[in-house]
Amino acid sequence: MATDSEPSLPFKPYTLTQTLTGHKRAISSVKFSSSGRLLASSSADKTLRTYCLSNSDSNVDPIVSPLQEFHGHEQGVSDLAFSSDSRFLVSASDDKTLRLWDVQTGSLVKTLAGHTNYVFCVNFNPQSNMIVSGSFDETVRVWDVKSAKCLKVLPAHSDPVTSVDFNRDGSLIVSSSYDGLCRIWDAGTGHCMKTLIDDENPPVSFVKFSPNGKFLLVGTLDNTLRLWNYSTGKFLKTYTGHVNSKYCISSAFSITNGKYIVSGSEDNCLYLWELQTRKIVQKLEGHTDTAISVSCHPTQNMIASGALGNDKTVKIWTQDKD
Amino acid sequence: MNAPIIDPLQGDFPEVIEEYLEHGVMKCIAFNRRGTLLAAGCSDGNCIIWDFETRGIAKELRDKDCIAAITSVCWSKYGHRILVSAADKSLTLWDVVSGERLTRTTLQQTPLQARLHPGSSTPSLCLACPLSSAPMIVDLNTGSTTILPVSIPDTGNGAVPQSRNKFSDGTPPFTPTAACFNKYGDLIYVGNSKGEILIIDHRTVQVQAMVPVSGSAVIKNIVFSRNGQYLLTNSNDRTIRIYENLLPFKDGLVVLDNLDKTLNELDGVEKLKAVGSKCLTLFREFQDSITKMHWKAPCFSGDGEWVIGGSASKGEHKIYIWDRAGHLVKILEGPKEALIDLAWHPVHPIVVSVSLTGFVYIWAKDYTENWSAFAPDFKELEENEEYVEREDEFDLVPETEKVKESDVNQDDEVDILTLEKNSAFSDSDMSQEELCFLPAIPSPDMPERQDKCVESSSKLVDSNQSGSPLSEEAEPNGHTANHASSPPEAEDAGGSRMKRKRKPSEKGLELQAEKVRKPKSSGRLSKVKNKSVVDQDNGNGFHGDDVSD
Repeated sequence: MATDSEPSLPFKPYTLTQTLTGHKRAISSVKFSSSGRLLASSSADKTLRTYCLSNSDSNVDPIVSPLQEFHGHEQGVSDLAFSSDSRFLVSASDDKTLRLWDVQTGSLVKTLAGHTNYVFCVNFNPQSNMIVSGSFDETVRVWDVKSAKCLKVLPAHSDPVTSVDFNRDGSLIVSSSYDGLCRIWDAGTGHCMKTLIDDENPPVSFVKFSPNGKFLLVGTLDNTLRLWNYSTGKFLKTYTGHVNSKYCISSAFSITNGKYIVSGSEDNCLYLWELQTRKIVQKLEGHTDTAISVSCHPTQNMIASGALGNDKTVKIWTQDKD
Repeated sequence: MNAPIIDPLQGDFPEVIEEYLEHGVMKCIAFNRRGTLLAAGCSDGNCIIWDFETRGIAKELRDKDCIAAITSVCWSKYGHRILVSAADKSLTLWDVVSGERLTRTTLQQTPLQARLHPGSSTPSLCLACPLSSAPMIVDLNTGSTTILPVSIPDTGNGAVPQSRNKFSDGTPPFTPTAACFNKYGDLIYVGNSKGEILIIDHRTVQVQAMVPVSGSAVIKNIVFSRNGQYLLTNSNDRTIRIYENLLPFKDGLVVLDNLDKTLNELDGVEKLKAVGSKCLTLFREFQDSITKMHWKAPCFSGDGEWVIGGSASKGEHKIYIWDRAGHLVKILEGPKEALIDLAWHPVHPIVVSVSLTGFVYIWAKDYTENWSAFAPDFKELEENEEYVEREDEFDLVPETEKVKESDVNQDDEVDILTLEKNSAFSDSDMSQEELCFLPAIPSPDMPERQDKCVESSSKLVDSNQSGSPLSEEAEPNGHTANHASSPPEAEDAGGSRMKRKRKPSEKGLELQAEKVRKPKSSGRLSKVKNKSVVDQDNGNGFHGDDVSD
């Protein structure tokens, strides 16, 4: 856990505080709920698990303990998302369905069927009345939560869709794909608003809106993360140093204590870059396989990460308290 | 909804029917402040709240005491309360989130229109316009009513001729009056049967000013624009008039007071008229000079740039759209059913109209695909262009230093946290939490579905809630057909998956314009059917086909 360079703000390094085992195969995604009280992980072992964080006392690191297991998918799960009120979880699976689960009881509420190939990514909108999903069938689908009906099918890409996200007020959807494009759609009408391209178009593995919805964090399979301003169509920052050429590794914005970009990497570490200077401020070691997914706690200085098959664990990293 | 890349022509007007909503027989509609929820009052006394984004029902407000038709529905300022007036003379106040009835007041007469005081988020006062008497202010907590004056005593004009009070269809004369609050609710504008607009201070119930409307015809509707800058009157002489509001929004009463003092040399009616002339000025008049039609439910667009009015003729569903300068820009024609209510979305160029049959039609802009959004390095051409090659177009030039210098300085500060204010709602008091959406709680699947192992069955089963018993039977049939039909139809925008192989696949494209065919259980479903032009891809058609086998 070496600190590589001198950042402008005094940077407190993150340390590993907990390792959560339980999944029997590779982890595909970890997410904190919007309140920060729950953590969820999805895995190739066809299950989802939720964990709860003990009451956050500012002097003591919260303990993360397993809560529920969700069974029902017939094949591995690639992604999951919490609804804004943390009552529901939606998961995307290779069995071509999305499933909506009740977080408290662990029971299956609804199955959303319609995709014709593996469903790879999923997200709720902030109002949590719609779900967006991207699939290997090259389409993006928008679903109505209440009736579980598919509201729209967007002819999004010409290759598997790797990531979908809503912006802050739920009016835009961004989708990314192996075809090298990121497209932005009007969530209300389903019309394409913009396509982001550059001179080279390496497969895009991940895309996410910034907290204010003005920028996009785009991860591509040429070991690069970029911050784009989608209105101008130009990227503003580039983050390198990590390894990402095979898997769809997710990244996150860390805004609880200074602004950083956090990402997993195929060299089994987590990388933290300072947002503005683009310097690597920390490299977190501990996983024994590719760190495929990271999530930042909404209020505390905590990062959760999940790794692939050789590792199968979810690790919790926190910043040292004063 | 303020992202700079969304089509800047948001201030435009709708052109075609995009979709329609059906649930019982709806009579009147109202958008909440942001246009995310649409409340509709039905003929059976229920109020339905539609989630306008998903076009599904978000909540139903059912009252066992009220089974009479709803005459009007009104949201409170931040969307926490809804006031419903019904034909059984009642006014009911609901809390939206909990779905609980807060108060129920019964009046002497059926209120045709009831409006909550727009100044507070939990209003207790409302303005009710009954069928055949003067408008009144009702205190919903105590039930007390205060009747507003509808005419100025001693007008000195002599008796108004009888014919003035008749509606064009010859109903017996009475004095209907239209009334509305101004933007913050400190003043009430009443339009009476003598063709006068009275500005009344609602606390003292005193007429502060009077504005005579030219033509002196009975005023049927009086409406403010959303920003409070313009006032619209719809009169019996088939003319819609737009007035500009000269009073300031918050201190209207102070100004009126000052005017009152300065014009002390005048008296009575003259004084009120003089004060009135400082409050409103006539801006435009709209009428259809050819057909001379009566207008129904006129209102402004969300930004006040457009005015719409529905034709009051029975048997036709026409909506006229004018720009504020007075030019007629469009006539929307719907199915041959009379129009009973009309509303413009607060933000988007969408118009919602209610027809006599109880359907709610949603009108939106006709969308033409913007291909350059898909391929930004291509430019869309209106017509063929002759392309002139450069001299060196096809020369083989050795790759000179192709260092593409990024013209962006990567060291610039990037702000990822600051939010942009939404200019359309600049007056929002941010201390109040606005109700923009109702939590969507998915109705659970039937438990026996969860143990189905075959994936195709889950596609059939989960698409249609109340169709579950059917789907159990449909299992064997649907099974085989499913596998066969999915591959070829995968490429289509999904529409063709609705129909199985024995229906031609171009049906899928037509699906955009057709109704979704529901299975035999449609009898059960008819209450909760939301017709959607956008395809519903969950195998509903399978059910129908299976069951009809």
